[in-house]
Amino acid sequence: MQPKLWPILAAPLIRQNPVMLQILGICSALAVTTTVATALTMSVALTAVLVMGAAIISAIRRHIPSTIRIMLQIIIVASLVIVIDQILQAWFFELSQSLSVYVSLIATNCLVLGRTESFALRNPPLPSAVDALGNGLGYSLVLVTMGGVRELFGAGELLGHTVLPTVDQGGWFEPLSLMMLAPSAFFLLGLMIWGLRSLIPEQVEQPEFQTPEVAEAQR
Amino acid sequence: MIRGIWTRETAALLLLAAALPVAVMWVVHGGPEVLGRLVFVLVMAGIWHLVFMLARAQPPSFSGAHAALLIAMLAPQGLGPVQLVLGISFGVVVAELAFGGWGRNVLNPATVTLAFLGFGYPAAPWPELQVTLGWAAIPAALIGVGFGVVPWRVFAGAFAVALVAWATGAALPREVLTAALVILALIVAEPVTSAATHLGRWLNGALYAALVLAFGAFWLDAAPVQLAISAALLTSLAAPLLDEIAIACWFARRARRLGRKRLG
Repeated sequence: MQPKLWPILAAPLIRQNPVMLQILGICSALAVTTTVATALTMSVALTAVLVMGAAIISAIRRHIPSTIRIMLQIIIVASLVIVIDQILQAWFFELSQSLSVYVSLIATNCLVLGRTESFALRNPPLPSAVDALGNGLGYSLVLVTMGGVRELFGAGELLGHTVLPTVDQGGWFEPLSLMMLAPSAFFLLGLMIWGLRSLIPEQVEQPEFQTPEVAEAQR
Repeated sequence: MIRGIWTRETAALLLLAAALPVAVMWVVHGGPEVLGRLVFVLVMAGIWHLVFMLARAQPPSFSGAHAALLIAMLAPQGLGPVQLVLGISFGVVVAELAFGGWGRNVLNPATVTLAFLGFGYPAAPWPELQVTLGWAAIPAALIGVGFGVVPWRVFAGAFAVALVAWATGAALPREVLTAALVILALIVAEPVTSAATHLGRWLNGALYAALVLAFGAFWLDAAPVQLAISAALLTSLAAPLLDEIAIACWFARRARRLGRKRLG
């Protein structure tokens, strides 16, 4: 039976978002979101690798011995990453410099391995590719949002265009340099997850222990 | 009767009372303009406490006023209202209210606000504390310890390290000492965010003093308040670890005395 493609594509955008629900791919989400441009490039690179990797792995899924499946997946993903990295260096040299090692690190991104392992190994190529595209877009959504907020409040710019004129340029906006440091991405991600889980309360995890019903002091 | 009096708010009010000597000295030196700043921070912190009372039914606490006093006193100078509002909102909401209010927080909202403003606006100059504030921190600590709301072991740990440092000839400038004393008495020894076990509290104070000494010796371009706040931030981040060490030591001692390999 062919599963419906639209739910596979739409679910990981918000409801099953890989970054905000499963907390995967955090390393790159912290490192490359200082500007929208790097976040966008990283998103495109990861989505491309993820879609192609999922399609290839899904196409040969019946021939992969399960004992060495992780190695095979990593080899396929790593080959794709090298291709993407070379393309970036050839045509977008400055961007690839500012992304430094993070494009190469897509090979070890939990998000990629998670999707190929949990979906592509058990489903035909088309649904696998669609699922990979949905997850890539969900990742991109979070990255671009974070890149936008960090660039806007950290430098007063969006995609290199001045939006809030900073004090240095004779404007009024005092840039928040914390936004250029990695911890701010943690804070933003935390706030985004908080907002999302307020909207969709079933995503909230069970508390690990219960506080006593009666306050200690009144016992 | 004792149980009836001792609620969370009693502890918060006594902490506030303990902070009064420092606050009074600060207002005497600063005059009406610092009062305006204090009122502004109080209103902002109060608004957030009110929002969380209405949205999450969390009872507001006088500890908010304690944090507001510290923020008004120690925040970098020359920041506009927007920047202050951003810093206060971040500190009060993310460090305290989001965790369920005072008593459940890991970090002091004042520490987080000050660190946020310090990292966010590194160009803003840190305030220079009068030496009398350092002296006023001593009655503040005594009031807190006397009423039992502030753990004396934290002070003891800090003074033990300070004594060793003094004996070996390490010396800190007077400004650093002042800032370190004020922050030790009002932030590091705050009962919620300091360690909770006996040994942990000794270690907590000792770690703070050691960090202040290390920063004072090697972090040369830091302002005194910045240096002490950074030490306080790292110390309260380490507090759960120190408690864990204390509990592990207790387990090891029990196991040795009872002659068993493992307990619990």
